[in-house]
Amino acid sequence: MSEFEAYRGLFVAESRENHENLVKNLLIIEKGPNQDAIDEIFRSVHTLKGASASMGFADMERLCHAMEDIFQLIRSGSAEMSQDLEDLLLGCSDVLEHMIDDVEGGGDTSSLNPDEQVQALKKMLSELGGNSVKKEKTAPAAATPVADTSATSEDTGDLPLYDISITVATECMMKDVRAMIAIGNLEALGTITTINPSKEAIDEGKFDGSLTLRIASEAGEDALKTAALGTEIASVEIKPAEKQEKKSEDASSGKKPAAAGAPSPDKNREIKNLRVDITQLDHIMNLVEDLVINRGRLKQIAEQHHIKEMDEAIAMVDRSVSDLQNLMMIIRMIPLNHIFNRLPRVVRDVAQYDSKEVEFIMEGGETELDRSVMDGLNDPLLHLIRNAVNHGIESPETREAAGKPRKGLVRLVARRDRDNVIIELVDDGAGINVEKVKLKAVEKGLITQEAAETLTTDEAVELLFQPGFSTADKITDISGRGVGLDVVRRSIESLKGTIRVETTPGKGSRFELLLPPTMAIVDVMIVKINGKRLAIPISSIIEVANFKRDDSHHIGKGEAILLRDEVIQIFWLNDMVGASLVCEILIVVQYQKKKCCIPVDLVEGQQEVVVKPLSHFIGTTRGVSGVTILGDGDVVPVLDVNTMV
Amino acid sequence: MGKILIVDDTLFMRTLLKNILFSGGHTIAGEAGDGEEAVAKYKELKPDLVTMDVVMPKMNGIEALKGIKAIDPAARVVMCTAVGQEQMVKLAIKTGAKGYIVKPFQAPKVLEEVKNVLST
Repeated sequence: MSEFEAYRGLFVAESRENHENLVKNLLIIEKGPNQDAIDEIFRSVHTLKGASASMGFADMERLCHAMEDIFQLIRSGSAEMSQDLEDLLLGCSDVLEHMIDDVEGGGDTSSLNPDEQVQALKKMLSELGGNSVKKEKTAPAAATPVADTSATSEDTGDLPLYDISITVATECMMKDVRAMIAIGNLEALGTITTINPSKEAIDEGKFDGSLTLRIASEAGEDALKTAALGTEIASVEIKPAEKQEKKSEDASSGKKPAAAGAPSPDKNREIKNLRVDITQLDHIMNLVEDLVINRGRLKQIAEQHHIKEMDEAIAMVDRSVSDLQNLMMIIRMIPLNHIFNRLPRVVRDVAQYDSKEVEFIMEGGETELDRSVMDGLNDPLLHLIRNAVNHGIESPETREAAGKPRKGLVRLVARRDRDNVIIELVDDGAGINVEKVKLKAVEKGLITQEAAETLTTDEAVELLFQPGFSTADKITDISGRGVGLDVVRRSIESLKGTIRVETTPGKGSRFELLLPPTMAIVDVMIVKINGKRLAIPISSIIEVANFKRDDSHHIGKGEAILLRDEVIQIFWLNDMVGASLVCEILIVVQYQKKKCCIPVDLVEGQQEVVVKPLSHFIGTTRGVSGVTILGDGDVVPVLDVNTMV
Repeated sequence: MGKILIVDDTLFMRTLLKNILFSGGHTIAGEAGDGEEAVAKYKELKPDLVTMDVVMPKMNGIEALKGIKAIDPAARVVMCTAVGQEQMVKLAIKTGAKGYIVKPFQAPKVLEEVKNVLST
């Protein structure tokens, strides 16, 4: 086993691809016959079988083998897919996935016993008429070998004749194939006049391990023997045939095939793609981040000390670091398909569980995101999709009664929009029942009855994101996993993204996720309050305005300002940096259509920074998403606008 | 010892095979991930021997074998096969493959077959 350790990572990566391909195509054939998909499934299962056998994962191999047998039948057209078979195969693919997980964690799949699946597959195979497969596989070697005395009508002229008998090694697994290879090699050197058993018989598998033949050849005994004596050939006996005078033995210069072309120089051995361990990439990313910080530091030192000579060098370093940074960003990007690919399966399972009919459409899977964003996106997206089918789409009967097609539509669309990746999940279901939401919220004590009556639709929908809210009447296997939309929102926000919902009663809902393609490096505005610096992400800033203390109005406990006919709440950062008496500039920030403004003393400038998360020793700090280290070594908090407005 | 072109749709199998062939003192002329690429690489690299997987996307091993044989009738192609694929292998042998190796690969068997086929 240990010699294979080096291949473990490779095995896992490629097996995952094959597993995904398997599931994807299983879902395609569930919708209707599709020969391409069947071929793809066969190829994936076959590859998984070969790879697991090579790694010595016997259980995984056994399972793949059983699946392959079934698909051999389906591929040849002698059996058809059925719903039972589809379910069984999807179940098998789940076991396969667990096995791959197990291997990834250092296991050897032996903890996952596929007996149940293998038995079910075998039963299915015999029901589907597995006999035809067996026949093909274990062609009996016992049948009467038929001699072929007229193998060729070609004129052998007066070439020397030899009688050759060949015995294939007993341990050989495909004796007939070995015999065919030996015959083929001999035919390259001469003409076979008689052969027993005949070539046709051998081809049909009627071969018990030894054959005799007569060949007319001028290649000579040695050359013939070498040609016949291949791998797994136990013995070759050769003697000149009787009734034939030996002719020129000198002809052994022979017909040996010429060496296949002149070898070309090694120039073509370049490798175009590499697989790199993700932890190494993360490490490189950390180094790049350090470089970014130190680049800023160098710039500052040169400015402080007026070292003109360094300008050019710094400009060069600056450019290289920028290029490096961009390159790293690109390298870390992976297409959304990475997580999208498993979603059709989820939709199918939920729909089946709920007896709903759902068409699932995915677009824009090629849109790329940073791996770290992708990692955090998987669970929330899964949850939203489950919700869309479970809560959004109605039962076929309800839909028909409402004059809608029986089949509900769930669309998942991803696209790049300037600095963001937008993922939309749209369903044409019942929409969110605002009244029900309000009722639940009052019941759960989230709002008062009076407040509920004045809530707008948007505000009511917002309640869905409150912790501890769930409108499902009962907890189901599918979406009631104790996780609500509040967790979804928190996950998305931890990725520096936002989530928005629009809903129309009877028409459906639309969830929109707005995500930064990458998290690590952010464009920020550096501001100063009370001599302390703070960084505000540029993406959330919409305006910088003048501020006079007299302009502010006290409303209850809060303070607001009228800016361009709009009342905007003022958010003082006094408890963070201490009260400042200057504060003549307002930074207006926005999050999900809601605005607030932060009074600051000074805007220092704009720059790209690396945001490092806060250590868990500090705990949750509302309003701060992390810190960054500026060029002069100053550690500056980065404001988290989302939690402020 | 020969220059070998490895054809298989999985990097895993190619790597496995490459290391076995290296250990036998062979050099790797190149690698191809599907049948089409195999034919193109054969034309370009003119290797001494090709190891050819049977089940591959785009163009399967048998079709690729035909393609290679069309370019070079003397090409030495060894099929990579699994138990249960006898019919495919026979078809390949009739099409002009010179040998076969069975997955899971056992280094001594692979090297023996490659040596034998190179000597034809």
